[in-house]
Amino acid sequence: MSEQISALMDDEIAVEDANRLIGSLHSSKQATEAWGEYHLIGDAMRGNAMLSKDFKQNLMQKLDMEPTVLAPKAAQYNSQKLADLKDKLPVKWSIAASFAAVMVVGWMALQQQVQPESGAPEMEMAQTEVMDQAIPNEYLSAHQASAPSTSSYYIQPVNYAE
Amino acid sequence: MRHLVLAPVIASATLIAVLLSSVNVKAADEDTWQLLQKAAVAARALSYKGIFVCQTSKQIKSVEITHLFDGQNEFARNVILDGSPREVLNHSGNVVIYNPQNEKIIIEKRRGQNMFPAVLPMNLDAIKVSYTLRQAEMERVAGRPAQVLVLEPKDALRYSYRFWVDTEYGLLLKSVMYNHRDEVMESISFNQVALMNTVALDWFKPKIDHSKSYVMENEQAVIANSDAAVDWEMKSLPAGYRKVDQMMRKVHGKTEPVTHVIFSDGLASVSLFIEHVSKQAKIKSTQKNILSSSGNTNFYTHINHGHLVTVVGDVPEATVVQIANAVVFKKTN
Repeated sequence: MSEQISALMDDEIAVEDANRLIGSLHSSKQATEAWGEYHLIGDAMRGNAMLSKDFKQNLMQKLDMEPTVLAPKAAQYNSQKLADLKDKLPVKWSIAASFAAVMVVGWMALQQQVQPESGAPEMEMAQTEVMDQAIPNEYLSAHQASAPSTSSYYIQPVNYAE
Repeated sequence: MRHLVLAPVIASATLIAVLLSSVNVKAADEDTWQLLQKAAVAARALSYKGIFVCQTSKQIKSVEITHLFDGQNEFARNVILDGSPREVLNHSGNVVIYNPQNEKIIIEKRRGQNMFPAVLPMNLDAIKVSYTLRQAEMERVAGRPAQVLVLEPKDALRYSYRFWVDTEYGLLLKSVMYNHRDEVMESISFNQVALMNTVALDWFKPKIDHSKSYVMENEQAVIANSDAAVDWEMKSLPAGYRKVDQMMRKVHGKTEPVTHVIFSDGLASVSLFIEHVSKQAKIKSTQKNILSSSGNTNFYTHINHGHLVTVVGDVPEATVVQIANAVVFKKTN
């Protein structure tokens, strides 16, 4: 049923089937819900993340717990953690070339990328990972909702509580 | 004697040569900016499909992108291939994210800007003010020859970047952001990419998981550009940053909304939040500052004249602190 409703919305269903399906939409609770849900998906052009209701209290508590001036990050940095992190970094980025063939006009570029040998400093990742928990999610997600950084689309800055 | 006669000629010739070369430098400079401009346009105006890898200090994710420009509108579908099967659909700047969370799929809306490879704004004027650009070596990325462009900040208030631009099509193949210690903060790079010859849009929809329910993320009341009752002002912004947006964010369970102001230097964005603090909290927490960072994001918060001032941004520490300290409250109480 769900697949049919989805197909109906995508205009991928025969007219006579569509009539029957629309009829059953009114009688079936599940179908009605699915219909609403898929329209929600389609209509999803509004709305932003919301600051959770306790965010300020949480922040004030954190302020209370913090020393007056924070120690420099470097002092808190766990060097073992960095070593572990470095071990995890790829020497090469290799993605299996299982990627479906694309209709290509001008150029085919199915070569796997290898790290360039020269030039810029390579994958020495920055060491500012330490205080991950210190940025309140509410502010970070509000910031990302209105002014997203490039990587935030792909790597979630916030672990949504829920 | 002859030498004496020639001297002024040589001098003027040298002068002309110097002038010409400075004109050449200027022209070469302009050419380099043109390459960057081409990359900004190509990311939006070409139709392509590929896989890129996004890496920060925290995580690595592979993303499959399909991007189509039909002459008027842009359509892009990004499918995150690692971990949770998140999808990001972009229709000419209207971005919708389908974000699986346990049994639900949360639908989120974002402002579509700086999504790879369209990380550069179409208008580079703001960037020209705060950064210098030069051409570096040629390198091969995703099987394509690319010109490396180095964008360096003129001060310590922003990060630096390297862009790998396809020499034939101008498409941005790779973008890396560095901090002042030349450590990679963020790296995004195509592994493979190909131009598409289609105008079909049948791919422009999320893969629907029938076993899950789809819900909009919590609707937030954003009151656009409320200029009423402003009891603060910005004394002096860090160089190159300007205000790009301001809104009131209604905080659930709070009577007072939070002021949210966004600043940008053309590439990096910073958020400023201003809110009243209760008397209780004020007494307990005066003089307390928090400065912290996560990946390339820095965070600073302090209390100023009965207000909690918080700054979050993908910029160096100095910038978030300067913005927080630039807030001046008018004496009303």
